[in-house]
Amino acid sequence: MTTKRQTALRVGETHVQAVRDTFPGAVLDATWQAADQVTITVPTDMLPDVVEFLYYGRGGWLPNMVANDERPINGSYALYYLLSMEESDPGFVVVRAEVDPDSMEYPSVTPRVPACVWSEREAFDMFGLRAQGLPDERRLVLPDDWPSNLYPLRKDAMDYRRRPEPACAVENYEFLYEGHAEETTQVPMGPLHITSDEPGHFRLFVEGEDIIDADYRLFYVHRGMEKVAESRLSYDAVTFLADRICGICGNAHSVAYAEAVENAQGIEVPLRAQYIRAILLEVERLHSHLLNLGLVCHYCGFDTGFQHFFRVREKAMDLAVLLTGARKTYGLNLIGGVRRDILDEQKLATIAYVQELRNEVEALVDMLTSTANFESRTAGIGYLDPAVARDFSPVGPCVRGSGIARDVRFDHPFDGYKFLVGLSARSHNGCDVQSRTLVRVEEFMDSLTMIEQLLEGAPAGPVLTEKWQYTPHKFALGYTEAPRGEDMHWAMVGDNQKCYRWRAKAATYSNWPILRYMFRGNTVADAAIIVGSMDPCYSCTDRVTVVDVKKKTETVLTKDQLEGYCRRRTHSPLAGKGW
Amino acid sequence: MLKLFKEIRRAGDATVGYPFQPLEMPAGFRGKPEHNEKLCIACGACAIACPANAITMELNADQSLITWDISYGRCIFCGRCQEVCPLFAIKLTGEFELAVKNKGDLRESCSYAVVQCARCGRPYAPAKEVDYARRVLASVGGVAATDIEKLDLCLDCRRADDAEAFQKQARERKGA
Repeated sequence: MTTKRQTALRVGETHVQAVRDTFPGAVLDATWQAADQVTITVPTDMLPDVVEFLYYGRGGWLPNMVANDERPINGSYALYYLLSMEESDPGFVVVRAEVDPDSMEYPSVTPRVPACVWSEREAFDMFGLRAQGLPDERRLVLPDDWPSNLYPLRKDAMDYRRRPEPACAVENYEFLYEGHAEETTQVPMGPLHITSDEPGHFRLFVEGEDIIDADYRLFYVHRGMEKVAESRLSYDAVTFLADRICGICGNAHSVAYAEAVENAQGIEVPLRAQYIRAILLEVERLHSHLLNLGLVCHYCGFDTGFQHFFRVREKAMDLAVLLTGARKTYGLNLIGGVRRDILDEQKLATIAYVQELRNEVEALVDMLTSTANFESRTAGIGYLDPAVARDFSPVGPCVRGSGIARDVRFDHPFDGYKFLVGLSARSHNGCDVQSRTLVRVEEFMDSLTMIEQLLEGAPAGPVLTEKWQYTPHKFALGYTEAPRGEDMHWAMVGDNQKCYRWRAKAATYSNWPILRYMFRGNTVADAAIIVGSMDPCYSCTDRVTVVDVKKKTETVLTKDQLEGYCRRRTHSPLAGKGW
Repeated sequence: MLKLFKEIRRAGDATVGYPFQPLEMPAGFRGKPEHNEKLCIACGACAIACPANAITMELNADQSLITWDISYGRCIFCGRCQEVCPLFAIKLTGEFELAVKNKGDLRESCSYAVVQCARCGRPYAPAKEVDYARRVLASVGGVAATDIEKLDLCLDCRRADDAEAFQKQARERKGA
């Protein structure tokens, strides 16, 4: 073993030892990238065993898996299964396995740990790495008309500016039905999203008005950012690109990327910058949660509440302008710290904003929860079974609404969150839309408290460090708790001042796979509010096709029809159409 | 219900008069970058720092002019250019109404003369940058200013001079 023993146990050491004890000879190598991150290399055929053991046996959760073309470095492809250990010895254990570039195959972990499904599908799209035994081998990221032998993230595949000729003229994505009822009707929703006017294609399998199952296809707006970052930008400009991954929680991505590089390079970010990063992350949460609370009002038919939440949200936007100079895309992160300090007068103004927001939102929430429709529209709707949650590793208010209090800010405190007192991760046990909404309400209030604590606690000092040395091919994880859940970035820099590989995992990537389970057992009228309760983020669908499993008919609904039905729950848009 | 009406009454009008009245942005707002072509020495620091490649610098065919160019269509208003500029020649303003009818109007550019090497005649740096270096060295004075006349030479010629001086020195030492 190449690792040196130190007197005190490092974070993750107990997990590494447990793997060694359970699977003798499985740990080929163990290296620490940062204080809380260890990567163990295992033989490829041991992959499913080790990941399953760490996931179910040691209290691990799986944010995602990163594939990397390491042929120019060591002659093979590599897979990194990222595991967030949240029971004993909290930290990150990354299981790495090399994949032979000739066979391009590895044993799929998905049958053992369902949370891997999207990552393994994506690894095939991007690299052509085939997971043996993967139950679902459909394309995930690439469009139907993409040529079948072109894998964009291979180092020798293509220039990022190239647009290949479409390989086929029709959509040929197959929607999978997992229900037992033999005759169902299909309801396509999309390709544009019913809550957020973003593209995604949903297929609801219904029997009358009841949803039996659902399948969906996303990535209509895949922008190829990882490829662009590798080829066009220098590594220190990627924070600005990461800011644009999401129009709502861009700063969370930007911080996660910066910290991935900082962790890898061993850069110590000045304390004041850590506080400022945490403050800005919470400012971002304020406006995002207010947006979602507004949407909940909208779906309950309480549009006055919607308008008022958005009126108040404007104050959160003003606060962002004050602190960063922009409403969104804060653009304040650099590798090594932040670009702007918070001045005394800004601090005072922020405290005033916080007080104002607290009073206004308390009053509005009181009104929302006392609205007759709120209870009936949200309680018991979109049930997310904690057992399903355990299998798929969802994040954010989605999982916290099912009684599982996972929150990166508290599980793996980073930045200013290390210094907070008296706060803990919020959770509710209802497993429904109502619980997820209440989690957001409480988190909003907590965010206000956090901002106050952080402003008071921030020590004076520099906000940016430039004292560090660039070492190529080092990699690490960076993570933040975005309003929708954890953002997890894995970055490795190259020998050309660029990212060698950057994998940005947005919160909702972890949440999409569980949506079909939340749909089941609800009615078509609930579909919009269920999707809305995820607060989904797809760079995001107006139409819905409904397919009746009994009559084998297909109807396309518009966003307005579906939303209207969600509010009224009478005058089904399906009526009179052979339903 | 009564609470709601009270809240509506209390909140009053939430809208502002914009666009019929001007909208003031707070200090520190990152809007349109303004380039001061008089202060600019065409050193290119902003073009290197710009993450979006909105700012570019290009030489013309005979290398007599270097053109600084910004495309507001590409600009992401991050303000890196302002941070790296040694002469404060670029500054983000509060202006945010950048819509134009013609895409070409999103560009602004200005050209700077490039000086030629006093010895070999090859173009080597923007005239303003050389001039700036000269003024800085002169104001510092002393040892720093001893080689000030060499600013007229291109990098290759200066290297050749240095190499010759070194060779001469080495020979003298050997001879001594």
